[in-house]
Amino acid sequence: MKRSRTAALLLMGTAPLLLTACDRNEAREGLYTSVEACVAQTNDSSTCNQAFAKAEQEAVATAPRFANREECEASYGKEKCAERSDGNNHSFFGPLMTGFFLSQMMRNGVAANGFNSAPAFRDSNGGWQRPAAGGASGGVYRGGTAGTGMVPINATPNRAVTTSRSGFGRSSGSRGFGS
Amino acid sequence: MRRIALAERPDWRAKAADCGFGFHTIDDAPYWDESAYYAFSLREIEHDIESPTEELHAMALDMVERIVGSEQLMQQLAVPEPYRDWIAESWRRREPHLYGRLDFAYDGRGPAKLYELNYDTPTSLFEAAFFQWQWLEDQLARGQLPAGSDQFNSIQESLVEAFGTIARGIARPFHFAAVRDSNEDQGTIAYLRDCALQAGIECGTLAIEDIGISEDGRFTDLDDQVIGCLFKLYPLEDLFRETFGPYLPRSGLQLIEPPWKALLSNKGILPLLWDAHRGHPNLLPAEFDQGGALPRGWVRKPLHSREGANIAMHLDDGRELRTDGPYDGPCIRQACHPLTAFDGHYPLIGSWVVGDRACGIGIREDSSLVTQDSARFVPHAIVEEARGVLIA
Repeated sequence: MKRSRTAALLLMGTAPLLLTACDRNEAREGLYTSVEACVAQTNDSSTCNQAFAKAEQEAVATAPRFANREECEASYGKEKCAERSDGNNHSFFGPLMTGFFLSQMMRNGVAANGFNSAPAFRDSNGGWQRPAAGGASGGVYRGGTAGTGMVPINATPNRAVTTSRSGFGRSSGSRGFGS
Repeated sequence: MRRIALAERPDWRAKAADCGFGFHTIDDAPYWDESAYYAFSLREIEHDIESPTEELHAMALDMVERIVGSEQLMQQLAVPEPYRDWIAESWRRREPHLYGRLDFAYDGRGPAKLYELNYDTPTSLFEAAFFQWQWLEDQLARGQLPAGSDQFNSIQESLVEAFGTIARGIARPFHFAAVRDSNEDQGTIAYLRDCALQAGIECGTLAIEDIGISEDGRFTDLDDQVIGCLFKLYPLEDLFRETFGPYLPRSGLQLIEPPWKALLSNKGILPLLWDAHRGHPNLLPAEFDQGGALPRGWVRKPLHSREGANIAMHLDDGRELRTDGPYDGPCIRQACHPLTAFDGHYPLIGSWVVGDRACGIGIREDSSLVTQDSARFVPHAIVEEARGVLIA
């Protein structure tokens, strides 16, 4: 016989053969550097947007605080820090939020209502961290001890902050499909 | 080899929808066409197509070995200088490749003649490997084909097997990428991903436009994961000249098809093969084009051209044909060997090589001598019965 004995499709067919893997109650957690990346992973743009907004709001309050820019940049990298004010005319420096953390409970493969989110920061060694749960905030300078109140995120090590996209694909309009 | 009219399966559109074959009709024109099929004898398939395919494939791989050792040949193939060492290195490391398609002019009355190698971004894969296979099974079950009819098509089995063989050599995460807005290309990578999953390889898909670059020059997916291996249904030569191209050689990214395939998807391979194997029954005379008028009996093709674009043909009888397209740059000439008409249609045989093995064919039929992207896909069968039985 010169033909395949059998030819079946797993995902392209209508029968959802692989969905059973999602048929459990578990948490789905992710660290995302953009709402776009979050949506691509979860297909849930409403939650991603809310999570991003909430994380951004918390970022100023929960980020480590430094007395000056140099100290902050030593921990978080050049141009990764911004000057902030706590509302009492006390000014300080803190790292910029570089991502956000989203965690949801899954029920039968569908995200349950509600989510946890937190801002995420990337230190100058490339490690990711987030404020500890119930992380202290307030007017206490934590100068010099960056990372206080922060816990590392077990992000996949093979991760790199993307600086630009769309560098491929320009020629696509000029040709038919494939060859 | 004959072209035989046959009633369509009444439910083929529903079947296409069931398996995600969304591009069976393109711009309102039929692409999948099962109102007829091509019938071959087993000898035609094995003697005239399968065995020349394996022989030419081996000759092509030998030629890669020669090209990577020669700056002059790289130059002749117009490989951009910054990519030459990287390409040569990918060959020395024997970076795994998956598949390729040889296009043949063949009519059952003489040796198949190689038109070109599509060794970088061959498509029409899903239709050949899966939907054509399903057509044969269905028509056999419906009694519309002679009992015992077969098909030269173990493409899907070969794909799953090839993925299994190279699985350990594929860096993770592994993504399949194609142009976002091309239904055809997206359908092809969805199918290839399906085959990879069947081989137990975890993998995802990504629009080629969404690929990112990091500060340290590595390629990332939408979640900022550094991509380990990228199957790209996108021409290597296009990647080379786009914004992110210069990052490729030092990015650590593994590509499938690997960089050395740029030497085989290049039509400059045709004169090189002819030089090395002058008179081979499956090769057409070919030479690098030095400009000037195209003499009768020759075809001019750009080194990089897909889907029959920018082809000039000067037939023996003096007629001249020319197709439009976006390609320019250096060209080759190939002796004109026009396709034979079957009921007014011109079939081109696409012969698939997967994991270095000839494993099936797909036929594209055009109403013109130059097979373009408008060509319809027509299924085939291997039938051995006497002719009288065939006419239903």
